[in-house]
Amino acid sequence: MRDQSVSDHEPEQLRSASQELEQVKEQLKQTQAQLVQSEKMASIGQLVAGIAHEINTPIGSINSNNDILIRSVGKMRDFLNCPDCPSAVRENPEVVKIMKILEEINRNNRMACDRIIDIIRSLKNFARVDDSEKRKVNIHVGLDNTLTLVHHQLKNRVQVVKEYGDLPEIEGYPNQLNQVFMNLLVNASQAIPESGTLTIKTFRDGDFAKIMIRDTGVGIPKENLGRIFDLGFTTKGVGVGTGLGLSICYKIIQDHHGKIDVESTVGEGTTFTLTLPLHS
Amino acid sequence: MVQADSITILLVDDEEMVLTSIRSFLAIETDYHVLAYTSPRRALADLDHQPVDLVISDYLMPEMDGITFLGKVKEKYPHAPRILLTGYADKENAIKAINDVGLYQYIEKPWNNDDLHLIIRNGLEKTILLKRLEEKIREVEKAQQELGDVQKQILRLFQ
Repeated sequence: MRDQSVSDHEPEQLRSASQELEQVKEQLKQTQAQLVQSEKMASIGQLVAGIAHEINTPIGSINSNNDILIRSVGKMRDFLNCPDCPSAVRENPEVVKIMKILEEINRNNRMACDRIIDIIRSLKNFARVDDSEKRKVNIHVGLDNTLTLVHHQLKNRVQVVKEYGDLPEIEGYPNQLNQVFMNLLVNASQAIPESGTLTIKTFRDGDFAKIMIRDTGVGIPKENLGRIFDLGFTTKGVGVGTGLGLSICYKIIQDHHGKIDVESTVGEGTTFTLTLPLHS
Repeated sequence: MVQADSITILLVDDEEMVLTSIRSFLAIETDYHVLAYTSPRRALADLDHQPVDLVISDYLMPEMDGITFLGKVKEKYPHAPRILLTGYADKENAIKAINDVGLYQYIEKPWNNDDLHLIIRNGLEKTILLKRLEEKIREVEKAQQELGDVQKQILRLFQ
């Protein structure tokens, strides 16, 4: 009976307390999801760094061997072209064909090796395991590494325009920032239905570094703009989006004492702008 | 000038495939004599009766790390330039160790053959120049000694 009378007297307080509780619960849910995600990223990072390290030696060997093949075939070509070499050998159709094939596949292999080496380098830079402390971060290197990794989503379809300005190194956590770049670049790529342009612009604005990622994609409807950083909000559909990406970006940028802004027009595209302090 | 075919290069990496790659490259582009080992211990044992002009070693090896190995080679052949091959992850440790064993250079895997060739050539040139400098210093010292003797003789004649 007494309880009844208390609640009768203070319904307003009770309601606000329950609201607070609801808020705390929501925050807790958010923190938990972010914790799970960052744990996941950390273990993926370790796995990736380990694999990249293991692949390094064999690809180094293949790359060198291919270079030796190119040199050897070059020497064979020189021999075939010298006057001592009988023309019956030089002009033999089988020899001509084999030489042509050898030269072609060697060139092909060189491009393949270059690409693998590039990807490994990006993976290693992307998944730096030693990232528990703040360090000097070169934003442009981070962007380029991330671009290499999302290359398969962009190629032939999305034209990438880089407008890198004069940007000093900033203080921060490189792999967390790479994760932000990755999320924004993948989102931009997915926002472009067929073909379009992705522009990455960087410049210095006083004591801040500005990074703008602009796509010519479908844009975000006004009613959704206020919710895109909310945990679990996605319009990508089941299996494509988790609704975690942007909320994690938001958290990471907040941890860097920066801010993340978005402007969007449906049918024209979206621009995300990161503002990061040069010194923490 | 030292002849290229009288130059011996010691190559150590626990991965046979790396040895094959570098050995083949040097065979096709140079006349250097190459000794290749997957075991740093065996390489050290053979070094007692086999002088070398330049050493290339991997960093991460199960028997002994490259820095320790190169340190031991330095005791036997201090003039032979020491080059360390490193993977990406151990680069920072390798750089820290550069001063400990007086590394001439480090090369990162995956390496570029042209860079490797240039580093080897420059390393050898450095030793050859050092050797020549030492010879010249000896000659100058000898000449000075002789001059001193002549001077003494002249002085004696005038006394």
